[in-house]
Parts: sequence; C-alpha cells; structure tokens
Amino acid sequence: MTVAARLDSITRRFGPVTALDKVDFELAPGEIHGLLGENGAGKTTLANILGGLLAPDAGRVEIGGQRVELRSARDARVLGVAMVHQHFSLVPRFTGFENVALFNGEAWTRRGMIAPGYRSQVEAHASELKLDAELDAPVAALGVGERQRVEILKALMSETRVLLLDEPTAVLAPQEVDGLFAVLREVAAAGTAIVLVAHKLDEVLAVADRVTVLRRGRHVLTEEAAGLSAGELAEAMVGRAVAAPSVSGVGSMGGGEGERGRPGGQTADGGGAQPSGEPDSTPVAILADVTIGAGEAPALSDVSMTVHRGEIFGIAGVDGNGQRALAAVLAGTLKPDTGAATLPDEVGWIPQDRGEEGLVKEFTITENVALALHEKPAYRRGPWLDWARIGETSAALVDELDVLARSPDTSAGTLSGGNQQKVVTGREFLRAGELLVAESPTRGLDVKATRAVRERIVQLARTGNRPPGVVLISADLDEVLELADRIAVMVRGRLIPVERDDHNAAAIGALMLSAGDGTP
Amino acid sequence: MTDLAALSSFLVAAVGLAVPLALAALGETVSERSGVINIGLEGSVIWGALGGALGALTVGPHAGLATGALAGGLAALVFAGFAVRLGTDQIITGTAVTIGSLGFTGAVFQSRFGATGLALELQTVPAWEVPVLSRIPLLGPAFFDQAITAYLAYAMVPLLGWFLFRTRWGLALRAAGESPEAAHAAGVPVVRTRMLATVFGGLMAGLAGAHLSLVHTGTFAENMSAGKGFIAIAVVVLGRWRPWGVFAAALFFGGAEALQFTLQALDADLPYPLFLALPYVLSLAALAGWFGRSRAPEGLALPWPRWRRISTNPKK
Repeated sequence: MTVAARLDSITRRFGPVTALDKVDFELAPGEIHGLLGENGAGKTTLANILGGLLAPDAGRVEIGGQRVELRSARDARVLGVAMVHQHFSLVPRFTGFENVALFNGEAWTRRGMIAPGYRSQVEAHASELKLDAELDAPVAALGVGERQRVEILKALMSETRVLLLDEPTAVLAPQEVDGLFAVLREVAAAGTAIVLVAHKLDEVLAVADRVTVLRRGRHVLTEEAAGLSAGELAEAMVGRAVAAPSVSGVGSMGGGEGERGRPGGQTADGGGAQPSGEPDSTPVAILADVTIGAGEAPALSDVSMTVHRGEIFGIAGVDGNGQRALAAVLAGTLKPDTGAATLPDEVGWIPQDRGEEGLVKEFTITENVALALHEKPAYRRGPWLDWARIGETSAALVDELDVLARSPDTSAGTLSGGNQQKVVTGREFLRAGELLVAESPTRGLDVKATRAVRERIVQLARTGNRPPGVVLISADLDEVLELADRIAVMVRGRLIPVERDDHNAAAIGALMLSAGDGTP
Repeated sequence: MTDLAALSSFLVAAVGLAVPLALAALGETVSERSGVINIGLEGSVIWGALGGALGALTVGPHAGLATGALAGGLAALVFAGFAVRLGTDQIITGTAVTIGSLGFTGAVFQSRFGATGLALELQTVPAWEVPVLSRIPLLGPAFFDQAITAYLAYAMVPLLGWFLFRTRWGLALRAAGESPEAAHAAGVPVVRTRMLATVFGGLMAGLAGAHLSLVHTGTFAENMSAGKGFIAIAVVVLGRWRPWGVFAAALFFGGAEALQFTLQALDADLPYPLFLALPYVLSLAALAGWFGRSRAPEGLALPWPRWRRISTNPKK
C-alpha cells in the first residue's frame, strides 16, 4: 500500500505531561481517517505534529515516503500537508479571496501582484469540489460554516496530499455537516488523505473509512470504520464500557465513577425532553423586547423570554447569531439598548470562551474558584475569604469533574482547553443560585466529561426546593434536544420559539438555517 | 497685507509644517499596519534631526538627509529589537526609547558643540521649484516650491497605497498586523515583517527629523522634535491607517499649527493655542469611530508569538 504520511513511534511531552507516547499513525491516499480520543488524549497534538506546528521529542515523521523534519506549518505546506484549525487561521478583515491569496504562493506573480486568472482558478476549483465559498465579503462578516468553507478552499488551492481537520463539525448546523462531509468525500476521491479529528462518534462513523483511537497519549486501535459501533469506540476511548451521550439519554449510563455521592443524579428522567412533573411557574428571569445594537444587523432584535425555576430552556442555533449577546444580557454583563431585562442576583455563567472570559490563567484553580465565590457569605469569614472552605470546594470540583491537573494549586493556564472548561463549568454550577447561563457547556469535552456535565445540569434544575432555571445555549442540537424542556432557536438576533411537536433535528435545523423573519 | 497674500503665506506655512508630520506618519502607518505601534517614533525624529545635522556638517545637506534617516532607522531598530524580537511591551519600550533618545541626543550634541548652547548654523537643503505646477495660484507655491523632503512625502502616498493594498508583501504585512497567528500559518515571517516595517517607520521619522534641522530651521537644538513623533501617531489615527487619509490628516495638523502662527501674526483676539488642541480632539473622535468605521489593526501592540500560551496550550 502506498502511504500518504506516516508517524512512527512519536513521543511528545509538555513539561511533565506526556501528550503522545510512542504513537504510530498511518494515512493512505484518498482515505478519510477519523481520529478520536478524549480531552488530553493527544489528538490535536498528533495533528499539530503532522501539520508542522509542533516538533516531536522522539520518533519519525514521513510524508510521501520521505523522512522529513517539519519546522513550521510552512514546511508541512510545501510537502502538501494542510491544516484546518478549530480556531480558523483566517484574517478576519480580509476577504475570502485575500485569505486564499495570502496562503498560496501561486496566487502571485514574481512582481508581487495577483496572477491574472487566479481568481477564476479559485472559483473553478471551488465548484469542482462543490464548495460554496464566499470570496468577496470580509471573513468577519461570514458565519462559522461559511468561514470553514473559505478555510478549506484556502487549504486546497495548492496541491494537497494530506488535509488535517481539527473538530470541523463542532460549530456547524446538521445540514452544514452533511455539506461538509460531501465536500470531504469529493476531496478524498481526488486522492487527498483526510484526517478528521472529532469527538462525535456517529459522525466519524458516518464519513470515515478508518478510525484511530488515542487514549491518554497512547495508541489504542486503528480499524476499518465499517466494522465498528459507537459503543465499541466509546469504550476504546474511555477504557471501559460506557454509553455515548449523544446516543443515549442522561440517566442511562451504567455506574461510572463520575456519580458517586450524588444520588440526585438518578432522579433525572431518562426521556430528556420531558419536564419532570409539574413545572414550577415562578419566573427567575424575564427579558422583554430586548434589543442590542442597531442598524441592519443588531446583535439581538426584540428578544422576549421567560425562564422559570427548575426548567431547562434550550437555545439552539448556529454560532454567531446573537447567542453571545443573549448570554451576556442574561448574565447581567450587558445592558439592553432597548427593552427590559429582569434578572435574579445569583447567576452562574459558563461563557463560551472559557479560556479568556472564564479564567484568570495566571491564577491557580483554587484562586479562580475563589474569584467567583468571594461574594457568597458561605465562603467568607467576616471580611476575609475562607480559604480552607474554598480549597475543599476546589478540590471536590477537580475530583468530581475529573480535571487532569496535578492539584488544585496548579495554575489554570497550564491546563488543556478541555480541563479549563471543566473548572469553569463546575465553579459556575456553584454560583447559579437562581439562574445558570450555559454557553456550549460541553463543547470540546470528552465523552465522560460531557456526560458528567449534562447530568449535573439536569440535576441542578431538578433537585432541591428552589432549583435555578437553566438557559442552555448550544450549537450542538443533540444536546439541546436531549436536555431542554423548552426550545427556541436564535437566528440573526431573533429568538424563535419551537413548538413541542417540532422538537426534532430536521425541524430545528431548518429554522437554524432560515432567515429568521418567517415562520414561528 | 492683503487677504490673498495672508492666505498664500498661511498655505505655504501649513504645507511646510505638514511635511515632517506626513513623513513620520506615513512610516508609522506601515509600522502600525504590521502590528507595531512605535511610541519611540519621537526618538527616531530627534535622532534624525541630530544625524542630519552631523551629516550635513561633514558631507553636505543632502547627505545629511540620508544620515538623518539612517539615525532614525537605527533608533527604531533598537525599539524593534526589544518590542518585536523579544516581545517586550510596545508602549513601555517606546516610551523608554523616546526619553532615552532625547537624553542621548542632547548629550551627544553638548559633547560635540559644548554646553553653552551656541547656535549651530547649518547649510540648509534648498527648495526646488517644480516648473509649471508651482505657478498654480495659491496651491502651486504651497505644494510645489518645497525641499526634496516634501516631494518624497508626496511620492510615498501612492507608493505606499499600492504596496499595502495591491502587492503580496503588503497583504502579508497587513496580515501580520491583523492576525499574526493566521499570518504565521500562511507562512508569513511575522517577526521579520514587523521588524522591517518598524525600521522603515524609523527611517521615515528620521527623515522627518532631518527635515526639521536641515530644511525647517538650519540648526539643531535639544528637544527640537517638540512632540512631532507623538503628533505623527495621532495623524495616523486621524488618517485611519490609509496613506491618503494620513497625508490629508498631516496637512490638517500642519494647517492648525500654521493657523496658530498666522493668528498670532495678525494679532487676532483669539486664544490661538486652542487651534493646536483642535487636531487632537478630532483624533480622539476618529478613534471613537465618529468618522465611520475603520479601526486600528486588530493585532496592534500585541506581542507575537505569545510564548507562554504556545508552550502551555498548543491549541491557542
């Protein structure tokens, strides 16, 4: 078999953490290769090594049969390895075409001007791949799915032997995922090997030819996708039998270590989308005709909603349709330009960009926990903070959510993205006395942590005498369908309620991609 | 004095005062477009003034313009070495370079010419009248009867516009200023690009300084840059990071300064220093977006690479 690229016994460490431990990986031309693993399993590290962004500490990298030493993304690019990142590497203020040209030397004449005919070449290639990419608008004005298409086109304009995609579906509507997969099949059919780093098992199984699973930096399996089930993959990722959260309901997993000491978790109903018994009718937060911004595209446009105690209000929608503004209004950090927001005092907020907005990276985990809880009398002794109590809380949080950290005194900046997220999530649960605003609370989390977080959201809303209301804002439609009692869709700053009969992926997906001014 | 003559002399003064601002600001535009705000620009201006004076004394006034530019470029190289290469804070580094430069140039000047402050007399760069164009009423003498520095400034405007917005290297430079991560991923050598852009800005600021000593005054005095470097940074803001806008903004600042002198000469009953403040008010307004949306490059003043983030979290 010819080989597009091969990693041979690759080891890579970050300080004391071994991210990859003698991992072998092989890519055949024209295959779509799913790369799976939990947070910290080493997926992204492996992709970054193949993409030239990281150098391995030991082991060999071969591309097209030649041993190579990649010093930069540019080196990899020259050898035909292109990477599409989770955070797109596009210049926001440049147009799609400028971004494509910036990345591709062939776009330019020797005197530094755009080569005549390059534009039509780009358009022709896009239509060949059935890739509908907007080239003339600044990238900043595009939706996430549109940006991704620009990013892929940018990568494929030069001859590409290997295309690496890091969690490409995490930000897409269901219809867009189908479109992406159709494009990937075209690309693979042309002989390019594709590495698809992903966390949704069913998606990987739907599109991949082969699957490789990593667990805590070690290679676990590489097999044909056709012979694998989601259950087998989940087991390989975690190392023991679990039910994948996107496949089954919240209450149905079989006795993992994540739920010890929390009997309340079992009271959650397994059906997911049904409210448990009589819903509490006490409103905790009311938005009335809230508008943020002005002009043609306000961030929020006449949004009205009421959140009650003990309910999970799911907000679906493709990223960038006003969800961030809505979350900020609910969290009380953004005042409506017009309209009124009636909000409770005790609000927990899991912001979307947890690394930047949720944590002070230079602080330890415990200090970050203290930062959020310092106003609560329970964590104070007179004017002083009760560090002992905060320390216990922080240790419990690290333990419960399985944060990979040496201790609660580890500085937050040294944690991986997924682990930072766990810290913020756990902490905000503690803060949400009356309202929890959760923005994509499981994005980037692994199977086990996703399950734990979802379970705790349900538990939070369902237990106790005065449970808080939860607003779950998520681009992951499965998650919203699974957890929410009521659902609304955000489209271009408008909030469109979804009838209970329409609580399914097809109906909501159609609303997500609608113009937002038509149907209910 | 007739009104027309007053207007004419006002215009001549306005353009003359605008030229050093335009030179320094056009250079700073390139530097800021690459993501570096060079607060040390004032230092490049004063080194340019001194370098110009020394060059003029040893070789001649035109060579003085070149040595002035070089001196300014060297000051910017020092700044860039710290702020770009080593990633030190751009604002603090720039402030240090400015203050240090004012001190060092003063020391060099005194050691060479004595502390008594004897006025140095330099041979100046003569004005060169452009045939035909200089005979346009009012604007002709103002724009086309100037020293070579003015014509360099005019030429730079379309040249930089073309470079920044039409060529591959301009695109790469702007990418380094907007999103160094994306530029790096596209193979742009971000550090080298920013170094070169900053040094170019220093060369232009040095030329502006040489203009002060060799065209404007024919002498050197300590602190003679008198804030021109800082004003140039404000000019870039008002000009919204575009060469034509920056040139127009420089004329506006020059005009405000000239107006102040003119009003003084006319003995008008107005608090004329207010006219010196006016351009800054407009700069603030421009920053606040009152003249339409055109913001600073998004990566401006952000060091790159962010080492700590890279070493702890490969995703960021």
